Amino acid sequence: MERIMEKDTANYKDYSLLSYHHIPGVHNLEVFERAGGYEMMKACFDKDPEAIKEVVKASGLRGRGGAGFPTGVKWGFFTKDRNAQKYLLCNADESEPGTFKDRYLVEKNPHILIEGMIISAWALGTQKGYIYIRGEFQQQAVILERALKEAYAKGYLGKNILGKGFNFDLYVHRGAGAYICGEETGMISSLEGKKGQPKLKPPFPAIKGYRGLPTMVNNVESLAAVPWIMRFGADEYKKWGTEKSAGTKLFSISGDVNKPGVIEVPLGTTLKEIIEVHCGGMRNGNKLKAVVPGGSSAPVFNHDESYSVKMDYEDVASKGSMLGSGAIIVLDETRNIGDLMKWTLEFYHHESCGQCTPCREGTGWLESIFKRRETGKASKADIDTLDKTAASMRGQTICALADAAAMPAQGMIKSFRSELEAYIMTPTNTGKK
Amino acid sequence: MSSHSPNQTHSMGAPFKFTDANLATYQEYLTRYDDVESALLPVLHLVQEQIKWLPQEAIEYVSVLMNIPEIKIKEVISFYDMFYDVPVGRNMVHVCTNITCSMFGGREIYAGLLKHFDTDYLTPTRDGRISLQKMECLGACEMAPCMRINNDYVGPVDLADAINKLEELP
Repeated sequence: MERIMEKDTANYKDYSLLSYHHIPGVHNLEVFERAGGYEMMKACFDKDPEAIKEVVKASGLRGRGGAGFPTGVKWGFFTKDRNAQKYLLCNADESEPGTFKDRYLVEKNPHILIEGMIISAWALGTQKGYIYIRGEFQQQAVILERALKEAYAKGYLGKNILGKGFNFDLYVHRGAGAYICGEETGMISSLEGKKGQPKLKPPFPAIKGYRGLPTMVNNVESLAAVPWIMRFGADEYKKWGTEKSAGTKLFSISGDVNKPGVIEVPLGTTLKEIIEVHCGGMRNGNKLKAVVPGGSSAPVFNHDESYSVKMDYEDVASKGSMLGSGAIIVLDETRNIGDLMKWTLEFYHHESCGQCTPCREGTGWLESIFKRRETGKASKADIDTLDKTAASMRGQTICALADAAAMPAQGMIKSFRSELEAYIMTPTNTGKK
Repeated sequence: MSSHSPNQTHSMGAPFKFTDANLATYQEYLTRYDDVESALLPVLHLVQEQIKWLPQEAIEYVSVLMNIPEIKIKEVISFYDMFYDVPVGRNMVHVCTNITCSMFGGREIYAGLLKHFDTDYLTPTRDGRISLQKMECLGACEMAPCMRINNDYVGPVDLADAINKLEELP
């Protein structure tokens, strides 16, 4: 998809999300508009809201935050009563380890998200919206606040937008450092001024969300894809990707590759192409050992799986992992899977919100095996204990954090058991840089 | 473990109140939400912008201001990593110790910084200049190993770079 790009012109046909990214100063509304920004917002106000929902549904766009649930179907659960008080909530919490695509998208081009949110708000009939951004992204919050101010000044937000009789207020809301606030009901609790503890579903937020009112929660990348889909239509969007995984996807790639970063490629692109073509191959010419394909909660792929997988929801799932947020962490032959497991499990223990016993206690038990290792008290059998503990945590809790800790742990045991047994029996760290 | 008595910008026991400018910001926050409680996280951020941390006196002030029970505010403070119920230094430094950053030495950088500045988790340096906090994934893995110095992301860094950057802080 790499082409020589014309300055100041959005490359609509090459990308759906990064089409403006090469334009200098595109974070300014004026520059964004000159390249075609906000055109679709204006056009959409003349369209029937239900027709917009239909286009998004027909496009096959799937939630880009991690779950991959069809956005149009989710929108279909939302009340059609345009007068009912309800909210649109953009999930910019982005805290799945390895993920940084939303940061990359909004810090350069905040207006693509705002345009997507205004179109979505019109389609859904929401009067108020919030962009919940993780606390660490303070600079990005400032960029978004500035962009919102510009949009208000142009009359694209606020009361009676462009004289169409539609009101939509949009604000940035900063989190304060908690992974679980990326879970939509945890995010709602946090927005309500509480601990970010998830709530039992059903009722789903679309029915009963923020302040007990209907709330549509969508990821940054999902909302930012809406203007493109409205511009070119569902059929054009579906030309990208596979039958069930339509469109392009942002991938965050980090670890042992020459060029880590964010790329936009059609779903179904092979992981081999992503690593070798888009990321400049393996660092130091080392051999690939393993890849975490969809954020730290995705089970790891070994060398052969990594080189045979296509990055779409179905193919990644058929090989026992998940596409998740599209966060690809590449590990070369010098890395020890024991380290990966230790870091992963420490993370989930730290981030468990504490309300469900299997998660609060289970994540601690999983991590404790690595504490025993430090004092030389771990044994080979601990790997079995770890596997059994992880299995017993799955499907037992309000949200998916327990599963998110258990799945990668079990995946690593499945593919790298002997390495983990050796690791656990070594009292000091190995594989260190 | 070291524990210093830092130069605090706010001493225990001194009353807290928002500056006039921050009070105006608070009023503006209230217009964004359909209830007062939803403004709690922004308000706690605002207190920290003013005095860096959240002493008991500030909690009492916010409790009265927003009519939220103190215990609810304390629950919230303890839940989030970026709210501080202990005094912190003038500069907050977050060091990422999650997967990609750890692959490239993030943990060694954190340990090295603690040693160099003779401090521990969040405890301000003797001159009150810096607090160090190890963090989970900061969302900047392409810069691994990365850190946040106040609100600026920097990376990749090594220990020597990190020390140099922190020594330049006011």
